[in-house]
Amino acid sequence: MAELIHREYPQKLYYQLCEIIKKKIESKEWDVGSQIPTEDELCKIYGVSRVTVRAAISELVREGYLFRQQGKGTFVRKQISDELIMLTSFRELMLEPGIEFSTDVLAQTTMMPVGNISTLLDCPADKHIIYIKRATIVEDKPIIIQEVYIPLHICPQLLGEDIVHNSLFGLFKKYEIDITRIRNYFGTAYLSPEEAQFFGLAEGSPTLLLNQLFFSGETPIMYTRSIKRSDSFGFAIEFKKSSINERRFYVKR
Amino acid sequence: MPTDKKIKDVMVGIFEYPHIPYWFSIDQAMRIIKVSFLSTKKYPEPLAVLVFDEKYNLLGTLTLKDMLRGLEPRFMRTPTEKAQVLSEEESELSLIWNTLFARESKDLAKKPVNEIMVPAKYFVEPDDPITKAAYLMIHHDLILLPVLENKKKFVGLVRMIEIFDELSNAILQE
Repeated sequence: MAELIHREYPQKLYYQLCEIIKKKIESKEWDVGSQIPTEDELCKIYGVSRVTVRAAISELVREGYLFRQQGKGTFVRKQISDELIMLTSFRELMLEPGIEFSTDVLAQTTMMPVGNISTLLDCPADKHIIYIKRATIVEDKPIIIQEVYIPLHICPQLLGEDIVHNSLFGLFKKYEIDITRIRNYFGTAYLSPEEAQFFGLAEGSPTLLLNQLFFSGETPIMYTRSIKRSDSFGFAIEFKKSSINERRFYVKR
Repeated sequence: MPTDKKIKDVMVGIFEYPHIPYWFSIDQAMRIIKVSFLSTKKYPEPLAVLVFDEKYNLLGTLTLKDMLRGLEPRFMRTPTEKAQVLSEEESELSLIWNTLFARESKDLAKKPVNEIMVPAKYFVEPDDPITKAAYLMIHHDLILLPVLENKKKFVGLVRMIEIFDELSNAILQE
């Protein structure tokens, strides 16, 4: 039996509906990836107006519980843990949920830690590192280039793993390496000639930059530098006043 | 009598040497040589870096001589027969060397290493006799040979010093 909306309660109707739907998601009654009832159906089930249903769904999309797929419906989104809010890949953060993308692996090889990589990874400059470079492609257009640096001794097996179809997080988990903290830096990067050619943009075009340093305990295990073209996508971060740990990221076109 | 030792008995691991991708510049390779060997006073024979492509395939090797050759000012390179050159003993030459080196070499150091490396054309397999490595090194003027398993997988390196050591043992014992 559906939980009831209490019209006599002071909280706004849409807020009550939000809380009801959140409970259904958190209890897995509505599973990740499943489609929720349509607006009409929700109006009938809870006896509220379409305006109320729309407001509730918009709020839940904004909070990251749901995502809309045009022409298909509204679906339950994979939950971002409150504790490790950043434990999602840059691509998952930067791409609208549900968007189809493919990955090109441009490099999966070894090198020595040049520049500041040695300092960042606390890895002696004479120790080998794994270097991975990947591009995220959406509708045949490269959207993101990511460079990944991992000290070889942390996980040498990564050199031979399929990183097109597997996430690095999943592979670290496979080798029982626990990511416990991620330090992030957001900024702007300007395209080098090679990067500009790859993106098909002018040299010096600004891009969104995200540098991430991943730790397992106190040990840095991976440094990534990702740049995202900014000619078609914006970026917004929202911090909720109630909890300093609650953060949501979404893409704005 | 040549020793019966095989390549796999004398080869060293691939991580004994620094690895760089082919797009690294000569000055980056020089910095790596300094950090990996010179500053730690580790002087394996030879001092070299291994050059790889994006898919972790060995492309070539780079020794100190190869790097310096890559920095040689254009004017100082081996002249053709028709060009008139000063004798190496001429005192003016040292001034020319210094000036040109200072002017041109910093720019030349930005070249990618694949333009100056020795391509990894020759290789041996783990079960080959060490005399095969000796032959290839002599005939192709090499001091480092990659060891490939099944002609594909890069599993080690064989060096002149180990080949010399084994073969000289065989000679001196008789």
